[in-house]
Amino acid sequence: MVTAKTMRAIGGLVMVAALHIVGSAAHAQMKMPMHTTPGAIIPDPTQVVIIVNRDSNEIAFMDIKSRKVIAKTFLGNNVNPHMAMMSPDGRYVVTGGTRANKAYIIETATAKLLKSIPVGMAPEHLAFSPDGRYYYQGNPDGDSVSVIDMVSMTVIKTITGLAEPLNITFTPDGSKAYIGNYGAHWVGVVDVKRHELLKKIHIAEVPGITKLDPDKYLGEINGISNASISNDGRYLYAADGDLGIVGVIDTRDDKVIKVIRVGAKPWRAYMSHDGKYAVTVNNGDETVSFIDTQTNTLAATWPAGPEMTGVNFAAGKAFVISPSGFLYVYTMKSLRPAGRIKVGTNIQIETATTDTAEEKLYLANSTDHSVVIVDAKTEKLESVANVGLYPWGTHVMDSKDNYCH
Amino acid sequence: MDTLSPRSRIGLAVSTALGLATLLTGPTAIAQNTGQPRPATSPETERRQMQERIDSLEQRIAELESSTVMSEPETRVRKKEVWVDENGVEHDEPVPGAKKKITYQRETAYRRQAISEKIEEALKGADESKVQIGVDGNIVMQYLSQTKGEKIEADGHAYELASADLFFTAKLAQNTVFFADVVGFSGSTPDEELVGSPLALNGYGARLEDPDEVNLREAWIQTELFDQRLTLVGGRLDLTNYFDTNRVANDETTQFIVGHSIGNPALGLSSNGAGLTAIYDPKGGLTFTVGVQQSSEDAKNLSESIYSLAEVGYRARFFGLQEGNYRVWYRRDDSTGVNQDAFGANIDQKLTPSFSIFARFGRADSGEDYDRFYSAGFQFQKGWVINPEDAWGLGVAKIELADGSKEILTEVYYNLHLADRLRLSAHLQYAEESAEGGEKIAYIVPGLRFQASF
Repeated sequence: MVTAKTMRAIGGLVMVAALHIVGSAAHAQMKMPMHTTPGAIIPDPTQVVIIVNRDSNEIAFMDIKSRKVIAKTFLGNNVNPHMAMMSPDGRYVVTGGTRANKAYIIETATAKLLKSIPVGMAPEHLAFSPDGRYYYQGNPDGDSVSVIDMVSMTVIKTITGLAEPLNITFTPDGSKAYIGNYGAHWVGVVDVKRHELLKKIHIAEVPGITKLDPDKYLGEINGISNASISNDGRYLYAADGDLGIVGVIDTRDDKVIKVIRVGAKPWRAYMSHDGKYAVTVNNGDETVSFIDTQTNTLAATWPAGPEMTGVNFAAGKAFVISPSGFLYVYTMKSLRPAGRIKVGTNIQIETATTDTAEEKLYLANSTDHSVVIVDAKTEKLESVANVGLYPWGTHVMDSKDNYCH
Repeated sequence: MDTLSPRSRIGLAVSTALGLATLLTGPTAIAQNTGQPRPATSPETERRQMQERIDSLEQRIAELESSTVMSEPETRVRKKEVWVDENGVEHDEPVPGAKKKITYQRETAYRRQAISEKIEEALKGADESKVQIGVDGNIVMQYLSQTKGEKIEADGHAYELASADLFFTAKLAQNTVFFADVVGFSGSTPDEELVGSPLALNGYGARLEDPDEVNLREAWIQTELFDQRLTLVGGRLDLTNYFDTNRVANDETTQFIVGHSIGNPALGLSSNGAGLTAIYDPKGGLTFTVGVQQSSEDAKNLSESIYSLAEVGYRARFFGLQEGNYRVWYRRDDSTGVNQDAFGANIDQKLTPSFSIFARFGRADSGEDYDRFYSAGFQFQKGWVINPEDAWGLGVAKIELADGSKEILTEVYYNLHLADRLRLSAHLQYAEESAEGGEKIAYIVPGLRFQASF
C-alpha cells in the first residue's frame, strides 16, 4: 500500500498550473504546484481525460494526444462510481462509489487504487478544497457530506443535517463551502476550518398556492442541485427546480440579493468562462436561460432539448447536452441559437468536460461505451470506442467545465 | 482492452483485499497495511472501538439490504463496432484487411440498482410501449351586455360551453408517432347569436363543429428525417398548430378567449382536414414550413379543394432586446372555385423577462377587395402576477372587411394557476361593430374559464 507520505516523497517535475475550484466552474485566484512524474504511466496529469465507467466499475485514463485509454483502475464489483475529480495538484484522482458507499483515492501517476474509505449512503458528487487538503464527498441518500483529510486519507468529520446534498462549491479562498440540497430549498454554508454547517440560506418562498397542489410539492422535491460561483467568488447562482428560479447569493454576507425567474424546472446554473453569463438548463419546458451576471437579469431564454444534463463552453459557443443524442449550440456573443449537433441515434449521452484550450469537448456516451470528442470550432465529431462500460462522465484537470449530472 | 487487463486485475486484487480487511477487522487492518503506526490503546478502548465498528458495519449492512437489489449481474445487449477479416474472424480492433461491421452482443454489467430505480425503469418501459392518453377539459361561462346601438338578440344572455379533448399518442417507430384528438362539447357561445358578425368572442367555437357529438379533430402521423431537421406530418391536421403560432397569443385554453387574439382570421381556415405539413428546423433560428390541406369537408378528393400555406420563421435578439419570434406567411385557397390569396405577419417579442408584446397583421383576398386584420397586445408572466405561474394580458384586434364594415375587439384576462392541472381565468371583452353607413353596436362580455388538463 502506498501511503500519503510515500506519495509526497515521489519526486517529480513541479510546475505551476491554474487551480480549478472543484464542484463548479469557478476558478481560484491562487496557484499551487502540480506534480508530474517522469516515467510513470501517467507522467503528466494534465494530459489525460478521466473517464468514469459506471458499469465496469473503473476509472479510465485516456491520453489526450493519442486518444487511447492508457490505464484503468478497477474499484470492485457493484461499486458504480458516479463522478471523478483530480486533486488540485494532480496527484490524486478521487471518486465516490455510489453502490459501495465508499470513496476511492487513486494515485494518478500509477493509476493505482490507494485507498477505499467508507463514507455515507450513495456517494455521488464531490469537491476538493482549493488547497487540496480536504475532499468533500456528498452522500445524497445519507443526507450528509463526508470530509476526508487527504493527508491522513481518513474521514475526519461527517457533516449532517443536510437534505440530499448534491454538489459542493468552495470559495476561492477556501474558507467556506456551499452545499446544494436537492431535497430542500436552501443552500448550506459550511465553515471549512471546523467543517460545520454554519447556516442555511433560504432561496425563495414556496408559493402559497402550493397547498392546492400537494401531489406536486409533497410527492417529490426538486430543490437545489448546485450553487455555481462567479469567477471572482463574489456571487453564487443557485437554481431551484420546483420554484423555477435562480437565487443570487452574495458570498460576503451569505444573503440572497436577487431572485431571477427562469424556465420551468431549472437543473442548475453553468458559468460561462468569461463570467458574463450563468446558463440554466430548464427541463420542465425544455429551454435554456442566459442570466447576465453583470446586471443579474435574464438576458434570453431559448428552446433546447429534453432532459438536459450539462452545458460546456468553447470557441465562443455554449454546447447544451441533451441525452437524446443532441448538442444544442448557442453563440455566446449574440446569445442566439446556432444549430444542433447530432451525436448519434439510439444513444444516451451524459456529461462532458472541456479541454483547457477550450477547443474540444470530451463527451461521455454511456450506452455506446464511448467518448465523443467534439471540435468546438468545426463541430466535427470523433468517437473513441470501448473506453469501458457505461461511461458516465469525464474530467480534465484545470478544465473550467468539470461537473456531473 | 487486452493490454490493460493486468492493471485491471491489480485494481481488483487491491480492492478485494481492502474490502476483506475492512470486513474482518475494520480500519485497524488498513492502518497496518499502510504502514502507519498503531497508537497504544487499552484493551477496554480497543473493545469499545471494535464494538463501534461492528455497530457501524451492521448499520451499513442494514442500509444496503433495505435499499438495493442484491441480484445477479445485469445483462444487456448493445450495439458494437467490430472488424471482420477476409477469413470471417471478428476483431475488436482494426486489423489490416478487415472491414468494420456493426453487430450486437450481450454484455454483463456489475451494477447494483436501488429497488426504486428498478421499479422506475420497469414503469417507464411499460409506459413507453403503451398508448399515452391525455385529457383537456374546459368550461367557459360568458355574459353579454349591450352598451350601444340597436338591441341585439344576445343582449342580456349568458352562455356556457363545456368541452373535453381526449389525446392519444403512440410511438410507432424511430422518431415516428401517431396522434389523435377526439373532442366533444356541449353548450353555446355568444357567437352563435351574433349573426353576421365576423367576431369570435369565444375561440372554442371556431374549433368545434357539432354540439353534443364526438368529433375527430386531428389524427396524424409524424416522422422526423435528416437528423431530425425535417418533420413531416400527415393525416387530419389542424394547420394552426404549425402556422401563425405565437408565444403569448396562441392558445384559447390558457391565454385569450377571443379567437382573433389567438389566431389570424386572414388565414381563412375554418376547419381541420386531411393534409400534409413539412417543417424544416435546423435549430439555428430560421424555420421553414409548408402545408397543404383539404379546405372543404364536402370535397370528394384532395385536388378538388386545396388550401396551401407557407411560412418563414425567425428567432432573434434584436437591438439588445430579449428573444423574439418573427413570422411571415402566405396562403392560397381554391375552395370557392378560384384561387384566393392572403398573407400575414406575426411577431412576439419579449421586452423584459416578464413583459412580452405581440402583433399580427393579415390581408386576405375576398374576391373584389381585401379584408384586413390587425391585432396587438401584451402579456405579463413571471412578474406583476399574484402567483409565479400566473399570466395576464391585454389584446386588441381590428377587422376591416372588404364591404366596409369594421369591428374592434378588446380583451383583458388574468389566468390564475391553481395547480399544475387546474387553472381559472377571468376575462373581460369589449366589442364594437359598425357596418358601412350603419349604426355602431357595442357590448361588453365578462367571462370565466376553468381549464383542467391531465
